[in-house]
Amino acid sequence: MATTPMTYSPSQGAERRQKQQQMRRMSQELDWKRSDGRSFHQCRPACLQTGATNAASGSAYAEFGATKVIVSVFGPRESKKAMMYSDIGRLNCNVSFTTFATPIRGQGSDNKEYSAMLHKALEGAVILESFPKTTVDVFALVLESGGGDLPVIISCASLALADAGIMMYDLVSSVSVSCFGKNIVIDPTAEEEACQDGSLMIACMPARNEVTQLTLTGQWSTAKTNEAMELCMDACSKLASIMRSCLKKSANLSS
Amino acid sequence: MGAVSMVGGGDEGDDVVTPGELLGDSAHLVPGRGAYLAPNGRSVRASLTGTRRLVPPPPGSSDQRSVVEVVGLKAHGAVPQPGSIVVARVTKVMARIASADIMCVQSKAVREKFTGIIRQQDVRATEIDKVDMYQSFRPGDIVRALVLSLGDARAYYLSTAKNELGVVSAQSIAGGTMIPISWTEMQCPLTGQVEQRKVAKVD
Repeated sequence: MATTPMTYSPSQGAERRQKQQQMRRMSQELDWKRSDGRSFHQCRPACLQTGATNAASGSAYAEFGATKVIVSVFGPRESKKAMMYSDIGRLNCNVSFTTFATPIRGQGSDNKEYSAMLHKALEGAVILESFPKTTVDVFALVLESGGGDLPVIISCASLALADAGIMMYDLVSSVSVSCFGKNIVIDPTAEEEACQDGSLMIACMPARNEVTQLTLTGQWSTAKTNEAMELCMDACSKLASIMRSCLKKSANLSS
Repeated sequence: MGAVSMVGGGDEGDDVVTPGELLGDSAHLVPGRGAYLAPNGRSVRASLTGTRRLVPPPPGSSDQRSVVEVVGLKAHGAVPQPGSIVVARVTKVMARIASADIMCVQSKAVREKFTGIIRQQDVRATEIDKVDMYQSFRPGDIVRALVLSLGDARAYYLSTAKNELGVVSAQSIAGGTMIPISWTEMQCPLTGQVEQRKVAKVD
C-alpha cells in the first residue's frame, strides 16, 4: 500500500485520481502485473472458518486477501407478528459495513443494495418449504472491504447457512471478474475495482451446475462474456470444494 | 473453530456430507430427511451437513429401496411441527383462548420461543362448550400440549384434549408447587388450598 499520510491533506484527492489514471493506462497492456503479484486468472487465497459466533445458530468467517466478512445466521425462528402467514419459510438478509471497513470512514454504507442482492443469490438455494411460517435471518458484517465484497459475502453466507443446519439444495459459491480493455481479471482488489471498465459477478451452485445470480456492468461482447463466464464457473467450483472441505473439517473437529 | 490441524483417525466410517453432495442413485435409494431427489429424477443429493445414514426398508413393503438420511451434526434448534408434543408456558388466559410460549418440542429445547394458542374447544375432549378457561389454566402454568396445525400468522394451534396432555406443573397463589389430586384439581402443599386446572395424567 502507498504511504498513508498521518494528517489529512486536501491534495489527497488529486493524487488518488492521478494514480487511478496511471493504473487504468497500465491495465490496458497485456503484460500488466497486478499489484499483489497474481496472474490474471488467479484468485486470492481463501481462508474460511465456521462457528465464529456462539450466539447464532450458524456462522462463518471468510478472509479473501484484504476482504474480511463475518456472517451469522439465526433461525428458523418466529416471524414478526406483523408479517402475513406464509406456508413456506422466509429469508431475511442484512448486509452492513463497519465504520472502519473502508479507508475513509463511513464510505461503505453506499452499498445499500447488497442486502437485496444477497437475498436474490441465496433464495434459489435454500429449501424454503422445510421451515414453513418461520424466518431465517442472515446478518453479514463486512469488517474490511478489500474488493470483491459481494462474492465473498455470498459465499460466506452460504457457508453459515450450511453450518446452521438450514436445508439447502447446494452450497452457493460466488466469484467476480473485472475487465480492463481486452484483459479479463478474476477476483479484483479494491484498487483494481475502482478503475475497471466492467464487471461480471456469478453466484452458482456448482454441484447442480445452476446459476442463482448473475450481475453484469459495463459493455461486454458475447465472446468476452462467454470467456468470463467460463472462468467464473471454474473458479466457483474450486471455491465450492474449498468450502466443502472447510465444513467437513469443522464437522470432524466437533465430533 | 480453532487451529487447522488434521485429526488423524477421527473419521472412520463416518462420512460427513455437505449440501449438494451426491448420495446415490434413485434406483437404489429413497431420499429421507436431509436428502432430496435431484430435478433429473435419477440422483439423490444431501441438503444438510451431517453424517449419512441408511435405513433399511421395512420387510414386506413393495419398495425394497433403503431410505438414506442425513443426520445433522449441530443441535439444530427445534421448530414445532403439526403432530408433535410440546411443552409450553401459559402467558395469557382469556375468555376463549389461552396463549402460551412453546419452550420444548419433543423434549428438545427451542432456541427462541414460539407462540401458541389453546382455544376453548381444544382444552378437553368432553363438553367442549362448557369449558371455563380460568379453571383450566392460569398464567405461569407449564402445560404439555399437542400441535394441531401451523395456525395463523401469529401463533400455532395447540390442543390439550387428551388424558396425558394439560397442566404438568403449576404454582399456587401462595407460591408453592401444587400437587395434582384429580384431572381437574391441584392442591397447594403450603396452604392446603385446592385450585382448578386441566391436569395432565403423568405416569
